[in-house]
Amino acid sequence: MKQIAILLFSILLSFSTLAANTQFCNESLSAIPIRQDGRIKPLLVHASEMMKYLTGKSKVGENSATVSYCLLSINGLGIPTKIKLFAKIEHVDLQKLLEVEKQKKISYDELEDQTAVLRNEWRKAEDFSSYKKSLGSLLGKIKIHKDIKTANNWQVPLVNSKTDVAWLPIGAYLSEEKIKAARAVSETPFLKVLLDSKQQYEKTVGNKFLIELQYVKLKLPVVALCLTFLGLICITLFRKFHFALAFAILTVIVQTAILTFRVYISGRAPITNMYETVLFSGYGSLVLALIIGHFKNEKIYVFVGLAYNVCTLMMLNFAGGMLSSSISPLVPVLRDNFWLSTHVTTIILSYGALALSWVLANTVLIKKKFSHMSKKDEHYYSELIYTCLKAGTVMLATGIILGGVWADYSWGRFWGWDPKETWSLIVLCLYIAILHGKSTNWIPNNRFFILVAGAFMSVMMAWFGVNYILASGLHSYGFSEGGAIFLGSFFLGQLVVLALTYSSFKVEEAKPNA
Amino acid sequence: MPSDLKKKIEKAEKFIGGLKFAVIVITLFSFMMIVGTFLESYYGTDFVNRVLYKSFPFMALQFGMFASIFLAMLLRLPPKKRLYGFYTIHIGLIMVGCGSFITWFSGIDGHLSLDPNSPNRKVILSDDVLRIIYHDEGKTVTRKLPFAAFRTTLDDKYENIQLGDFIPFADKILTWRKGSNPYPLNSSIHSSTYIISNPNVSQEMTLSLHPEAVEFEASLTMGLLNVTYLPKGLANCFTTKGKSGYIIWDSKKNDCYTPEQRKIKIRKTSENNKFLVLRENGKVYSFFPDFNPWPVDENLKVIKNSHLKIFNKKLFEDKPNLFAFGRKVAFFDDEKWHVAEFKKDSDTIDLPWMGFELVLKKHADREFPSFAPKEIMPIQKNGSLIKGLTKALEIDVLGNKYWVLNDRPITLRINSKKVSFVLDKEILTLPFEFILTKFKMDKSPGTNNPASYESFVKLFTSDGPTDHHVYMNNPLKHAGFTFYQASYSQDPQTGRYSSTLSVNVDQGRPLKYLGSIFLVLGAIAHYLLNKKKVKKSETTDFFKLEK
Repeated sequence: MKQIAILLFSILLSFSTLAANTQFCNESLSAIPIRQDGRIKPLLVHASEMMKYLTGKSKVGENSATVSYCLLSINGLGIPTKIKLFAKIEHVDLQKLLEVEKQKKISYDELEDQTAVLRNEWRKAEDFSSYKKSLGSLLGKIKIHKDIKTANNWQVPLVNSKTDVAWLPIGAYLSEEKIKAARAVSETPFLKVLLDSKQQYEKTVGNKFLIELQYVKLKLPVVALCLTFLGLICITLFRKFHFALAFAILTVIVQTAILTFRVYISGRAPITNMYETVLFSGYGSLVLALIIGHFKNEKIYVFVGLAYNVCTLMMLNFAGGMLSSSISPLVPVLRDNFWLSTHVTTIILSYGALALSWVLANTVLIKKKFSHMSKKDEHYYSELIYTCLKAGTVMLATGIILGGVWADYSWGRFWGWDPKETWSLIVLCLYIAILHGKSTNWIPNNRFFILVAGAFMSVMMAWFGVNYILASGLHSYGFSEGGAIFLGSFFLGQLVVLALTYSSFKVEEAKPNA
Repeated sequence: MPSDLKKKIEKAEKFIGGLKFAVIVITLFSFMMIVGTFLESYYGTDFVNRVLYKSFPFMALQFGMFASIFLAMLLRLPPKKRLYGFYTIHIGLIMVGCGSFITWFSGIDGHLSLDPNSPNRKVILSDDVLRIIYHDEGKTVTRKLPFAAFRTTLDDKYENIQLGDFIPFADKILTWRKGSNPYPLNSSIHSSTYIISNPNVSQEMTLSLHPEAVEFEASLTMGLLNVTYLPKGLANCFTTKGKSGYIIWDSKKNDCYTPEQRKIKIRKTSENNKFLVLRENGKVYSFFPDFNPWPVDENLKVIKNSHLKIFNKKLFEDKPNLFAFGRKVAFFDDEKWHVAEFKKDSDTIDLPWMGFELVLKKHADREFPSFAPKEIMPIQKNGSLIKGLTKALEIDVLGNKYWVLNDRPITLRINSKKVSFVLDKEILTLPFEFILTKFKMDKSPGTNNPASYESFVKLFTSDGPTDHHVYMNNPLKHAGFTFYQASYSQDPQTGRYSSTLSVNVDQGRPLKYLGSIFLVLGAIAHYLLNKKKVKKSETTDFFKLEK
């Protein structure tokens, strides 16, 4: 190792400092395979995940994720680089402890020096407090940073045969012979050794992992957001339905591509984490909207589908802290593609259908508050919402039953009062109560809109609240940190809309037969 | 039937089968479920099951829903074509309800722990029981305890044993009690609580020599530091100088001395091992103090209950060792042994390791420490209970009251017979036996996260043994029982895995499945049979889209 460091250092000295980056680390490394978190992926994907985890952003200054990760790693090979990563410190008490109340960030090098202090503080902190969680999270980040900086995180394949691949830390992989041999034929021996390993891996094992690189580079979620947004503009501002329809169909195609990529990469149904359920819900609702709109010959469904899809795509593109796009291995119980594809898909599709009713109910409420709507139109729109509710509740009931059958099949019980199960049943009960009231005209149209708009809060509670607020139960694979602020904001926003629009209905009720 | 009563029954039928009742019951049911999920989040699954989901009011509410569903269908007979879907949904719901009732009434839900190559047929169920074990008669009596969420007073008596309060969720509080047996005045049965701390860590430790302090040890380890609690009479010998470094302790006389003080000769074996011989009342005690503190008899057999014991101080000089004697402590530092004394309760003794200091919190010569239960609300974090893990039952035996805890059975002499009381879970003995022959766990590549775990079991029945493979989503069905791969555990010392299978018998399953199919098909049929066509007006289009 010492000899390799001297060898690499001598290579470094033969270049200017500026050229050192390109000598050792450039974008060509993005495509080399790395094994981390239980699967094989291109370096770019892993480097982006690491940089986002450590700094909140995938780029570090001018350097891309791959280059940043590489520069940090080669420190562990004895090559000093100037790259410095900063951790965001959000907890107030932690800011005080580290004396970064103003800048709210601190370099990992400084943090490493304070590891003992942080560990002692973590030991003393009250169990399960947010301070202890923040300290634990920061200590985890310091460990990962150290792991990368000591060149232990970067695992390079040593290919013996198709089924026999040893993954070695880069420091152990680079031997003096390899560097000397590469130096004889290339001006960038470090890059050559690594690119040769990639070539060897592709030749012997295959290049399936490179699909993920294409998927990341295409930035399809951004494309889908732009298309949906354009569709929404066409229908709302320019009143061009056919353009909106074309954009909606293009969005569906792009989202189908996203889902296909994720199925191909992970080898399972794309509905196993929050990111994927949000993606599938938006996609499903748009597809449902197009189908229902076609059979009902009603254009407003396209608007509703696009509007909800914009919401979900905005979350996917801008709420990275809450929804991680990483593809991770599944817990054993979820490794059943049949049940995963049927139970979760049906539930998420039902959420999509209920979301259509939510968007339409809110649209009617706002329209009625700020403009005029006749009783006949109210009745018409209530029937459109009713159609979505029917589809949503039938799918939700089917999804709950499928979940029960899966639970019976895997755990030996059909129903166990698990919070996720219970909240799904709560949602079903609330919508069934609304449907009963509506079908027997017990609930008049004006109250129906308010109830439908409000009832979607129960869907959000079942979908996000169980994971972010209750955070308990057997469905632990979907659990994640944070998100309570998002859910609180959603509830607050919806309640404000209900409060504002409820008054307009009350006025109308006061003037019967007006 | 009187017409008045008939009218009232019809009225009640109409009300229960009516929409308003349905909506009220559904809303109430939803509200209780919402409360239940929040209760579970704070107080745990077991608590919410006891207080809500398996409580009588919640069951009654479900029965109300069942009655509403049934009567709503009954009131809409004779059949009408447009209601075919409605009937199917309601029949489906009734079937699901009946299936669930059968499961609740006669189903079995438990778990079977399988250690490698150890046969087992005992399924642990969820009900709490008290087991009274009469050792002399080889008899065990089981008393079922209530599925209560809070402290409940039982009205149950078996022979001369009265069952008192049952606490399902409790914390253990340290109390100091007087022993129930008489002890000689000079016996070393003292106990102490110390606080050892430095700026980074603080720990309370309770140590006892009292024979009834079954929950407390006389030694513990804190990282590199070993703490040993010894009879107080031994403290002074730690400063007594002696070339050998040996201290002889006579627990009968509560006395200590060094071989040099009594001029006891220390000899060496042919292999150069030191030994010394003590003679008492004609009995010979031979010691090899560099190897064992206990003496050996003529046949070189270790006498473990001997009143004579030798401490080799030199063995404890290399590593941090703290000896506590109640109000005195001894430790080795700066090439010599130090004995320090707590003269007042607030005194602090500085220890020579990592800035530690020691405070004596409580010392008792005759009383002993014991845990008593205190009822609390349980607390759940990250899916498991962190508070309220103790269950406790008070028993009254011949006028004396005792607490039996789930992790501390008690054994008493009742009318000179040995009787044990164990707070446990109900056990079902299977008519066949399992052996775990192999446990396989695959991990996600390069991580420690399990990708799958699988049990290879041998099932012994009257027809002979058969091999089976149980893994996630692949249960084993046998004799009406279904065995599912539930979890696993690993022995930290041997690294061997044990497997836990969940065991289930559900006679209501076919009804629940059939009812579910009826429910979904009925819902689809209902909406297809009741399609409405609503016409648009000219003002309907929000966005005034181009035609």
